[in-house]
Amino acid sequence: MLIKYFADVRTLSGCLEQEWTRPAPTLRELVLGLAEQHGAAFSARVMPSGKLSATIIVLVNGQSVVHLDRLDTPLEPEDTVAFFPMIAGG
Amino acid sequence: MFGWSGTILRINLTTGTIKKEPINLNDAKLFIGARGLGTKIMADEVDPKVDPFSPENKLIFAPGPFSGTFAPSGGRYDVVTKGPLTGAIAASNSGGSFGPELKYAGYDLVIFEGAAAKPVYLWIKDDLVELRDASHIWGKTVPETTDLLRAETDEEAKVACIGPAGEKRVLFAAIMNDLHRAAGRSGVGAVMGSKNLKAIVVVGTGPVQVADPKGFLAAVEKARAAVKLNPIGGAGLKAYGTDVLVNILNESGALPTRNYQDGYFPTANKVGGETLAEKLLVRPKGCYSCVISCGRVTKVSNPKYIGEGEGPEYEAAWGMGPDCGIDDLEAIVKTNFLCNEYGLDSITMGATIACAMDLFEAGHVTLKDTGGRDMSFGNVDALVELTRMTANREGIGDKLALGSYRFAESFGHPEFSMTVKKQEMPAYDPRAIQGIGLEYATSNRGGCHVRGYTIAVEILGNGVKLDPHVITDKPHWVKLFQDLTAAVDSSGACIFGTFGMSGDDFAAMLTALTGVPYSLADYLQAGERVWNLERMFNLKAGLTSADDNLPERLLKCPIKTGPSKGAVSRLGEMLPEYYQLRGWDKEGVPTPEKLKELALV
Repeated sequence: MLIKYFADVRTLSGCLEQEWTRPAPTLRELVLGLAEQHGAAFSARVMPSGKLSATIIVLVNGQSVVHLDRLDTPLEPEDTVAFFPMIAGG
Repeated sequence: MFGWSGTILRINLTTGTIKKEPINLNDAKLFIGARGLGTKIMADEVDPKVDPFSPENKLIFAPGPFSGTFAPSGGRYDVVTKGPLTGAIAASNSGGSFGPELKYAGYDLVIFEGAAAKPVYLWIKDDLVELRDASHIWGKTVPETTDLLRAETDEEAKVACIGPAGEKRVLFAAIMNDLHRAAGRSGVGAVMGSKNLKAIVVVGTGPVQVADPKGFLAAVEKARAAVKLNPIGGAGLKAYGTDVLVNILNESGALPTRNYQDGYFPTANKVGGETLAEKLLVRPKGCYSCVISCGRVTKVSNPKYIGEGEGPEYEAAWGMGPDCGIDDLEAIVKTNFLCNEYGLDSITMGATIACAMDLFEAGHVTLKDTGGRDMSFGNVDALVELTRMTANREGIGDKLALGSYRFAESFGHPEFSMTVKKQEMPAYDPRAIQGIGLEYATSNRGGCHVRGYTIAVEILGNGVKLDPHVITDKPHWVKLFQDLTAAVDSSGACIFGTFGMSGDDFAAMLTALTGVPYSLADYLQAGERVWNLERMFNLKAGLTSADDNLPERLLKCPIKTGPSKGAVSRLGEMLPEYYQLRGWDKEGVPTPEKLKELALV
């Protein structure tokens, strides 16, 4: 599974992207695993109090998990998961 | 008078006469100011069928009630005219400090009529208003012009001017103010050039009167706090600028690539806001009274592209980058500097070069046409040089100066132009984001995202998150965004304030500032009124519902790769509902009942 990071989430993870090979049947397990790897600041930014932060955008294969099953979104080994902060422009 | 200064400055460039007139307070209440009040003047005084370059077209500079106050990000003004690129009403909005300075000098509107026999500039110092000879600065770039005019007037003066592109009537020439800020779209700079008007130079020392100072302060503090608390307005835009959007649009499969041939660009990260911040950013910068600071002061040290300036914004980086198949950020930043120095709309410039590259690869434009220059996608040297050549109308640049539609049409293939109403669409693919396609198609100034930025809800989830791939309710959201934006623009505020502020916040500030009670409903209706007035101008100009359309490529050619592979725009399914919600007939004409409801008859 390919994990991509952007903006300040990239800073907190310390990398642009990484391969994830441990079991992660849903987004919840993936984020818990990533939090364990990247530490408390990453965890607090992405999933404070056991819920996805309202200021984080997570895409699975380009689809916002808001339109999937949020933390219960099922994942497959060939998926791409991208983490963004709330950003904008125009 | 509160909020409004109460005075129109009317300059006849043909005769050299200068008049001051009171504004019509009823019109001010109904149309607010800036874009709205400027459009009202155009509708009342100009035949919509006018040739944009004829002396009968007018050119209006208009700050709004918030301009010059400490309302959050309330430093904007509009340039309103009939646009030569589109043949439609043009209202190009810019930040910086120029708009507030006009208010301090005491003017809600500066209307230029006619055309000067030789180059002139307008010098304003409060009540003193003079037309001065500009022969010695004709041909100068924007930085040269700004420096020279400050030296001969006041070092603290605010300058709005055109560069060589405006003088040479490049159909997408911008008017630049404060060196780096642009009233960019639809060719307002070319209209200024057609009038032989090089610049407006202004110093203002007066106040903006506030009807309810305590109430205004309270409303501003509430609004300012809302922006600061918002993750986008509060920190995100300052850290990374608008170019941060490159990656999320790409990961959503909605980053138009190689002239909209695709919606995914594998090396997009090289031109994104994160890379810009890491490699070329000097510091963030805000406009007058800004609490966001999305502006980028940037510097390139590489001798090939050396330069300093501001930008690029997301749209420019996209147009000069992925849309041209280019991932060289230094070349993009340099090209953006050139657009600012010559006075070009950076969105249309990039998208027009992308169209030319597409035509070249398809064999419709040949080496004979280009003077032997390779114009394939990804050619960085072509990007930089074609921008210079366009501004100076040299070689094939003379045709590029007409924008992508007329360029492609001249080679027999207008379908290669990714435009609506002959204006280039920006950086969000309507095949992957359904609402923005409806927005582009119905925008009163042609292909444009900031007439109704549904990206805020379709991609970013600012307040609400909608699925970008579905069409349900999108006509409702497009109308709402268009009406609110028209009101915000007309107020002299920046639409980025909506990353935190609600319509109620804007209405509360406007009420306390002007003393005119605006409910949220009043405020939105004012926006709807402006929208319909623009629509009526365009219909009288000859545009029809057939112009509410997207290029065939977006309707019939699916995105080839990436997360939105297979998607096409479903515009045709959304448009009838949009007309119905607007109170328009099936031909897109506002009904008499709607016009009466909006006090437009």
